[in-house]
Amino acid sequence: MFEFLLHVAIMACLYGMLALSLNLQVGFAGLINFGQIILFGAGTYGAALAFANGFGPVAGLALGVAFSTAIAVAFAQLGRNLGADYWGIATLAVAEVLRILITNEVDLTGGAQGIAGIPLIFGDWPRPVGPLMTLGLCLVILLAAWWFCRRLTESRFGLALKLIREEPMLALSLGYDLNAARTATLVVAGAMAALSGFVFAHYVTFVGPDQLVAAETFLIWAMVIIGGSGNHLGAIVGAILMQFLFAFVPFVKDAFGAPAEYVAAMRLTLVGGGLLVFLMWRTQGLIPERIGDARPAPATGRPAAARMVEKHNG
Amino acid sequence: MIQFVIDVVIRSVDLALIAIGLSSVYSLIRFPNVTLVQYATTGALVALGLQMLGLPLIVAGLLACVFVGAVAVVLNVLIFERLLTAGSAIAMIGSLALSMVFSAVFLVTAGPRPQRFELDLNPPIRFLGARFTDHQLISVVISALAIAAFALILFRTDLGRCMRATATNPVLARGTGINTRRVTNVVVFLSGIMAALGGIGISVKGEMSAHLGMEMLLPIFAAAILGGLGNALGAALGAVVIAVAETLVTNVNFGPLVGESFLFVPAAYATAASFLLLVIVLLVRPHGLFVSEVKRV
Amino acid sequence: MAEMAAETVLQGTGIAKAFGAHQVLSDVRFRVADGEIVGLLGPNGSGKSTLLNIVSGFSRADAGEIRFRGNALSGLAAHDIARRGLVRTFQLPSMPTRMSVRQVLAAGSREGAGLVEAFLRRPADDPEVETLLDQFALSAVAHQPASSLSGGQKKLLSIALALRTRPSLLCLDEPTAGVHPQLRSRMVELLRAFNARGVAMLVVEHDMHFIRELCSRCIVLDRGEIIADCPPAQLAENERVVEAYLGKSVERPKVLS
Repeated sequence: MFEFLLHVAIMACLYGMLALSLNLQVGFAGLINFGQIILFGAGTYGAALAFANGFGPVAGLALGVAFSTAIAVAFAQLGRNLGADYWGIATLAVAEVLRILITNEVDLTGGAQGIAGIPLIFGDWPRPVGPLMTLGLCLVILLAAWWFCRRLTESRFGLALKLIREEPMLALSLGYDLNAARTATLVVAGAMAALSGFVFAHYVTFVGPDQLVAAETFLIWAMVIIGGSGNHLGAIVGAILMQFLFAFVPFVKDAFGAPAEYVAAMRLTLVGGGLLVFLMWRTQGLIPERIGDARPAPATGRPAAARMVEKHNG
Repeated sequence: MIQFVIDVVIRSVDLALIAIGLSSVYSLIRFPNVTLVQYATTGALVALGLQMLGLPLIVAGLLACVFVGAVAVVLNVLIFERLLTAGSAIAMIGSLALSMVFSAVFLVTAGPRPQRFELDLNPPIRFLGARFTDHQLISVVISALAIAAFALILFRTDLGRCMRATATNPVLARGTGINTRRVTNVVVFLSGIMAALGGIGISVKGEMSAHLGMEMLLPIFAAAILGGLGNALGAALGAVVIAVAETLVTNVNFGPLVGESFLFVPAAYATAASFLLLVIVLLVRPHGLFVSEVKRV
Repeated sequence: MAEMAAETVLQGTGIAKAFGAHQVLSDVRFRVADGEIVGLLGPNGSGKSTLLNIVSGFSRADAGEIRFRGNALSGLAAHDIARRGLVRTFQLPSMPTRMSVRQVLAAGSREGAGLVEAFLRRPADDPEVETLLDQFALSAVAHQPASSLSGGQKKLLSIALALRTRPSLLCLDEPTAGVHPQLRSRMVELLRAFNARGVAMLVVEHDMHFIRELCSRCIVLDRGEIIADCPPAQLAENERVVEAYLGKSVERPKVLS
């Protein structure tokens, strides 16, 4: 049971990264990305292809980020002249085309069988220690990603993203290049997802196209919406919540003696039902986005500088 | 060649039915309702269940269509009207979420394995060297009649006029005394019927599975977007284009192009073909092949 | 023709635009000189907003050329035009629901808004934001969601935002519509103050009092053509202007009064 919980915790960290990445796109830039899982796949296949061709993990990570950047730029180009809903469908289509390609280009990717035997991180350590260290590493990466996202969204860039998300025409009239800001967001978010995929590949040691089905994207969506889109902590909480709920579904199935397909059905209901309930009754999620300033406004009225300028203007 | 045309027709009528439903609802409430593909699966599943209870397939199909139409209206009133107050993107994500709940229900009720309708096996009909079954023929005729009926409603009745008025300018339509909410729900009802009919059609000609809807999602959207979302008849043409692309990719020998005698694209790329077509169209003509819709902001 | 001596900021020649069969603008020619405040007048549907959209890059002209400080603007994206110092406001400004007024105003300047800069320095308090909040009477509502402002306050915020980008030409689309009369005179003062610092302006406006107080010259559009280009005081003597407004009895007293 301890090792199982350890596994769930590691997966929660990796999905936390994916949720942070999607939250950056959905919650801050207003990008309806339904192809998120393929950015994760860029990382898993980066690791797997580097390994299969005899390169080390550094090359794997670099390859993964290169893939994710290429996909992110392609997504952004698609978004140039599409409405948000059309763009969502387009990203879903791109992700599916790539998954079908991966499944069928057996020579390159191992096809549906995938690529197995990728070296395990901390594989030289005895059983409970290795996974514990993996969890430690994943926690560090997750916290670093959290810090990174906060720093990004509390900056002027983050403010610009919010303005673009809510009033694109206004942002355009002030000189913001919408496409450049969206591309930058997608590339950064894509690299985060690829990093998650890279660690995932070296943790489960197997990479295959079944890990990249569209349902995974919707799971990440549920994490973001339920946790609270536009709030980094919310995305992480959503990821942990959904991962642990998912992990305990098989136990519920066993307790009721239900057939195997009930596991899939219960997970679908958790994701779909959870999303729907929150969209209808609590759109802001468990931990809502903070509106207004990070710091409280100066209480003592306007600063001296302001008065001086005003006097100057008469 | 004849076989190719027949394959395309068989594939496109059902796609067209569902895509027309998607497009006409979009024209009124301005969000692409993903759940429609699950209405198609529901139609097939209910028809299958009623047939197992001993009803003839035609009766079972008819009842299933009406049932799905009613379900579509109920869900529109209970869920989508509320979601739409938060915006079309929220409504679209909500419709995806609802689709997943549907998938769960299908897994539990129909089971994970594909099922088939009970049909008498007759020898295939031969026509100018092409082969097709009598069920395929009947199903295609019914679907084609349904499309024709919808076109008649759209262009020859008061309801159709109200629909087009609401789609063009809902505020103005309300001002002239049209009950736009009722018009919308009638169209939602019709779209449910068409989706169910399409789902039954696909299942009769192949098999019915819990994953049918989600597998159809992108081809349907590809057809509807090709035709210009909101343009019902464009969606029908889009379906034909998608069917041609899918059939071409799998049936054409690309060998001579690369200097080999035989080169067939794997069947799995048939779906990829329609997705790729969708992406290309979105890049080049985001508002569809056939119309120059007013630019969306 | 004293203003001809000043350098030309904005110059349009032969601008034409049609929506389908409807010709909205035909052979429009105008100029705005450095330091000028020019009013753009005309009955509803005369093409004022369309011209503003074309100038700011939000719409493309079918024909004609627009030069801003000597450089042709045709083909430039709207954000590029704004970056060169030609900034516009909207007739019905809509504001973010999940940003405070202060945040919106802070986002008005692109300085330090790059992705990399997010990690180079922490966002500091910006005195200019507080100044603008104060000047535009928005300090009391600075912490509120920007969408919760009244229509008039949104107008003020959108002008403050545009000024924050330090434009050299400001295009205002009906700045006083929906603004409280008290704030209206405040707005005249503010716009004059910024004009004194070198911001030229092109103002679409219906309120003749506002125009007379602010503008040195007026361009009048009717059915897509320029029918007058003169100081506001001479408008009432211009036969074509009177004629253009005659059909609109509601607006006639405004022009003639």
